[in-house]
Amino acid sequence: MSRAAILRAWLVADTPTSRRQARLGRLYLQWLSFRGNWLAVAGLAVSLVLIIVAIAAPLLATHDPAAQNLDIRLRPPDAAHWFGTDELGRDIYSRIVYGTRITLGMVVAVVILVAPFGLVVGCAAGYIGGWFDRIVMRFTDIFMAFPRLILALAFVAALGPGIENGVIAIALTAWPAYARLSRAETLAIRNSDFIAAVRLQGASTGRLIFGHVAPLCLSSVIARVTLDMSGIILTAAGLGFLGLGATPPSPEWGAMISTGRRFILEQWWVATMPGIAIFVASLGFNLLGDGLRDVLDPKQT
Amino acid sequence: MAQPPLLSVRNLCVRFDTPRGIVEAVRGIDFDVGRERLGIVGESGSGKSVTGRATLRLLPASATVTADRLALGDLDLLGADAAALRSVRGRRVSMIMQDPKFSLNPVMTVGRQIAEAYRMHHRVGRSEARRRALDMLADVRIRDPEHVYDLYPHEVSGGMGQRVMIAMMLIPEPDLLIADEPTSALDVTVSMQVLAILDDLVTRRGMGLLFISHDLNLVASFCDRVLVMYGGQIMETLPASALHQATHPYTRGLLAALPTIDTAGRDLPVLTRDPAWLATRR
Amino acid sequence: MISVRHLDVSFGNVRAVSDVSFTVAAGDIFGLVGESGCGKSTLLRVLSGLNPHWTGSIEIAGRAIGPMRDKAFYRQVQMVFQDPFGSLHPRHTVDRTLAEPIAIHGLDNAEARIARALDDVGLGPRFRFRYPHQLSGGQRQRVAIARALILEPSILLLDEPTSALDVSIQAEVLNLLARLRTARDLTLILVSHNLAVVAHLCNRLAVMQGGAIVEEMTVDALRHGEPSHPYSRELLRASLGYHRAAGTS
Repeated sequence: MSRAAILRAWLVADTPTSRRQARLGRLYLQWLSFRGNWLAVAGLAVSLVLIIVAIAAPLLATHDPAAQNLDIRLRPPDAAHWFGTDELGRDIYSRIVYGTRITLGMVVAVVILVAPFGLVVGCAAGYIGGWFDRIVMRFTDIFMAFPRLILALAFVAALGPGIENGVIAIALTAWPAYARLSRAETLAIRNSDFIAAVRLQGASTGRLIFGHVAPLCLSSVIARVTLDMSGIILTAAGLGFLGLGATPPSPEWGAMISTGRRFILEQWWVATMPGIAIFVASLGFNLLGDGLRDVLDPKQT
Repeated sequence: MAQPPLLSVRNLCVRFDTPRGIVEAVRGIDFDVGRERLGIVGESGSGKSVTGRATLRLLPASATVTADRLALGDLDLLGADAAALRSVRGRRVSMIMQDPKFSLNPVMTVGRQIAEAYRMHHRVGRSEARRRALDMLADVRIRDPEHVYDLYPHEVSGGMGQRVMIAMMLIPEPDLLIADEPTSALDVTVSMQVLAILDDLVTRRGMGLLFISHDLNLVASFCDRVLVMYGGQIMETLPASALHQATHPYTRGLLAALPTIDTAGRDLPVLTRDPAWLATRR
Repeated sequence: MISVRHLDVSFGNVRAVSDVSFTVAAGDIFGLVGESGCGKSTLLRVLSGLNPHWTGSIEIAGRAIGPMRDKAFYRQVQMVFQDPFGSLHPRHTVDRTLAEPIAIHGLDNAEARIARALDDVGLGPRFRFRYPHQLSGGQRQRVAIARALILEPSILLLDEPTSALDVSIQAEVLNLLARLRTARDLTLILVSHNLAVVAHLCNRLAVMQGGAIVEEMTVDALRHGEPSHPYSRELLRASLGYHRAAGTS
């Protein structure tokens, strides 16, 4: 038997002999079912490429993203400038590569702020119930009533433009969705026998929520987060486009479209290239999220 | 048997294509159903429910059904197209499921559902269908049919829901009724009443009944003939009255494993499964 | 061992259990029989501590207990649920499920305790790192029994422990319960709609209808004479199979 075959047999063994083998075997089976969905795999590939590009931006960029050269302004794509140059003679390809860092940075910041908070709040509200649940849910109602982009606009207008304020504004409107999702999942499992069984062993409420309820909600939150990433990318780009997100000269995709829009008819590449970047990034996360949702669905085994 | 059988099955096989490989749920079984109460007993995974559904072609797309013969009277069910199957379902064969809650449309009154079931197969007006539905409700011993006619499924109890289900399935006057665990969601006293209704209707209308159940005592006391299924195959066929004198070790093992008041204080004999039971394939 | 006096349980305006009293001696196997909605499961949930909304008095091992239970109570009283598919956490291996009660109560020798619990229910170490979906219904129910026994309780509450299982598996689980009861000197309360199962395993039983106990008797009395209450007689007859007369009543 080859090593790969041995490894495979070890992973799908019906009788795992250690905790690690059981967990890895489970992951392997999930990967198998994920792999069957080629759109999801494409989404995963796009997302991985984006992450690699963000990390290796200095290696991949051909020019300094901020270097201006008015002699070569608004050049169409050619061998030296793969995606052409913008109105200040900056290399659009290099700017998009560095822009990946800003976009993914915003996405990661929002997710780190929002997902754990929403998960814990939602699980606690769903499990504890009563007045705590009611108060938390009314808060989510309030935040969900604001249109995301408008609240972000108001927020940024008050605190001044900048990536950080954009992140906070998006986070404020994004957490209720996770709280509601985890709450709904919690309500579905809080009365199940396996939760009752742990209660009958004398487990504390905290132990129940963090050790038994939250892990079951986690998978749908992960799937939802991935789906939401495309929305976050679009909102971030929207803020940039309106001049309220990243400030010039930072190479933010939305801001790049905004400046390129003046030349859209004669120099189409200035606005189109970052547009394609936004499209590909948000589509990639969307496909990945769809695939994850199918694989991680707790209603399946 | 003097009469030709209502349903004739030869070498029926059902396979499911699952992510973990192909599962053979039914492996080459033969049986006929005449105007009688034929019981199929077996444990979960024995293929008894799949058999019932396969005869109505009600299996999901992942299932492959093959048979040398799967015929309802003179109609070949395997070769029949969707339109032919639709006209057969209800009109000539009906099916009662385990839990009426999932089989009734929640947003339509039970009476209208019964009337619609009748009109689907008979060209009559609304008022005639309503009259028929009320008669049918009375036939399943519902005391106040006029009142029950206008109730929604969530407003009726489990036992009454199952009676409504029976009324709906029997109003097109099918020749054959397939009942898959029709009483296992019901309390014992209620299920006795439901069974008595089925018993009456089958006897009076001369229908055939395919009764699928895991409950040996119930099948032995209710049916005329019993098929014992295990691992997708028929272990033995015998008259229901002789079930307790069964010879096959599987049937004997199942009967012995049943707890009774007389087994108190003793260990129940545990069934040991013999692979040879499944080895004899044709 | 267990003494219940004038227990009442209401959900809103509906009285699920009304004025129920019974006692169970140490080492007894006490059966509660009745149909769905008769209050037998509610009664068990009150005893286990899952339902705190009741009035009356409950004494366990001579100590009165209230709606809220402490950790010591849970080491004394454990429960096995009906549905083997719903009573195990779908993302936890057998090992994790059995380790949880040990961690909660800070017991030592976790490894040895888990291994022994699996041996006791006839599963053995092969099953230790499986997930519930890799187990059959009977195996899951064995895990649930192992989980209940790992805290070494003296009282085990069984809520329809075999009604979701096939006949042959039911026999194995019933045998296992009988064996564990003797080996561990347990007091059992078994709730079931199946009179045959109760009669097989228990030595005393109570028939419940509409939230009240209509009749209490020993299994010997059940075997030797017809029960006195008509409802008990009906249950007894129904447990023997279909009966033309039963349906027409």
